[in-house]
Amino acid sequence: MSHLGERVSALVDGELNHHERERALAHLTFCADCRSEVEAMRALKGRLRALPGPSMPTDLTMSLLRMGEPGGPLPPRMRPFPDGSSQEKSAPAFGGVSLPGPYSFAPVDNRPRRGVGFGLTGPGRGQRSSTRRKVGYVAAGVASAAVAIGTLFVVGGSDPKPVVPPVEMFKQQHNTTVPYGTPASAVPRP
Amino acid sequence: MSRLPTAAVASAAVLLLVLAVTGGSAHAAAPDDNETDDSGLALLRQAAGAARAESYYGTQFVTSWSPHGSVSSLIEITSTPGLGMTVRPTVTDPEASGTLERVDPASPAGGLVAPQDEMIDVMARNYQVVAAGGGQVCGRPSSVVHVVRPGGADAARYWIDDASGVILRREILDGRGRLASASAFIDFRSTAAAPKIAAATDTSVYAAPDVLALQAKGWTFPSVLPGRLELFSASEAEGGYLRLGYSDGLSVISVFVQPGTLDEEGLGGWRSERRGGHTIWVRDSVEQELIWASGGHVYTVFTDAPADMVDAAVAALPHDPEPGVWERLGRGAQAVFAWVNPFE
Ligand SMILES: [Zn+2]
Repeated sequence: MSHLGERVSALVDGELNHHERERALAHLTFCADCRSEVEAMRALKGRLRALPGPSMPTDLTMSLLRMGEPGGPLPPRMRPFPDGSSQEKSAPAFGGVSLPGPYSFAPVDNRPRRGVGFGLTGPGRGQRSSTRRKVGYVAAGVASAAVAIGTLFVVGGSDPKPVVPPVEMFKQQHNTTVPYGTPASAVPRP
Repeated sequence: MSRLPTAAVASAAVLLLVLAVTGGSAHAAAPDDNETDDSGLALLRQAAGAARAESYYGTQFVTSWSPHGSVSSLIEITSTPGLGMTVRPTVTDPEASGTLERVDPASPAGGLVAPQDEMIDVMARNYQVVAAGGGQVCGRPSSVVHVVRPGGADAARYWIDDASGVILRREILDGRGRLASASAFIDFRSTAAAPKIAAATDTSVYAAPDVLALQAKGWTFPSVLPGRLELFSASEAEGGYLRLGYSDGLSVISVFVQPGTLDEEGLGGWRSERRGGHTIWVRDSVEQELIWASGGHVYTVFTDAPADMVDAAVAALPHDPEPGVWERLGRGAQAVFAWVNPFE
């Protein structure tokens, strides 16, 4: 893979699509040159936009000087990323060589085990509810059916409330969990 | 977001090569036959201490693999004794959370590089933790520790910096020995210890979750999940949801349970998958994120565990149909009967 070249800017701005980004990041793992380009570009954009941010050890001056140099020819623009849609999923080709994917998954038997083992229910539910329900019907049968049905609907409540999980809050709680310890207090910077 | 799994898998394969090349000789090193006991435990415990005591910064590459491909991020880490870590994404990522400050190195956000003693105990119960010779990470001599499954396959590998004692690289492998996640410093600087802020001594003692109290409130939940996952915390939050934490000593699975049905319209950025006849909502992230509805409850799972472990754990959690008219009638009858028979 050639250097990131002009894609550095798009990477810093978050404008690359998922697999372009993945490959650019993979390149950064072994290319210190492009890493420093990314650092410099980010610092430059940060200054231009006067965005607040923690100052990291980036030699901005040197980077700017280097960017100002006429320099040699730009690295050849990278071939567009392989088009995933035209290739077999199980045999991704890279550089003309087929590489085994890290995952070649057999379908996992994902069926839930009903009735035994790992039951998880909330308040007012659980295994007792089926027996209780039968007894409940007997009790209800004592009363006038119409009245009972009405009562049961009221007590049972209407449809459970539709909820959207507060995923960012949950994610934050997961990420700051200290297993077997006391909760930490990681603070996201606004 | 457009997804091209093939390219993602290709880049994952490239990264595998990269990691293999930069990982030094550790992979090639033959396991020491003399090291049949938990010879790596002391190293890991020291590393946990070093992550809190040492002052360092660097750039870390984090990747996770799933059947759908790979997701990577490049983060900058600054660790200061007493203040925890600052974790900042290097490049803008609309999916990633922003900068985190005062991150505990024992938390998933801190890369679980300073696990509590109890977590290392759990690791030692579930796996064999062996010293596996020396290696290198970003040019620094390191001690390698392998966490081995009973069958002999690696469940995790750690590279511990000989100079600072900090974990420089951490790999989690799935049941088939494939990389599930890897985080590795590609640039690491151990900084001179600044005027040491007295690190707050953690005097708190780990207390097991009060399962009985939650059961008395009507919650029931498994204390273990497949894959050697044990419950380390369970609590009812103020918002009326249940929060559960499971771990095998290596990974963490957080399960959030809310009463209600799932408002699928509100799930922007999530996509649905059919698994075992059930609809599961997932999102692309370095960690695995899953949402589903079951029997009047909504389950949300966040985890850094390997995909096969997550699949088994999720399959073991409830996937019941949504409550219909008859179930609501039953619930009402149950409540009525409770009035009729107060001794029930
Ligand atoms: Zn480069």
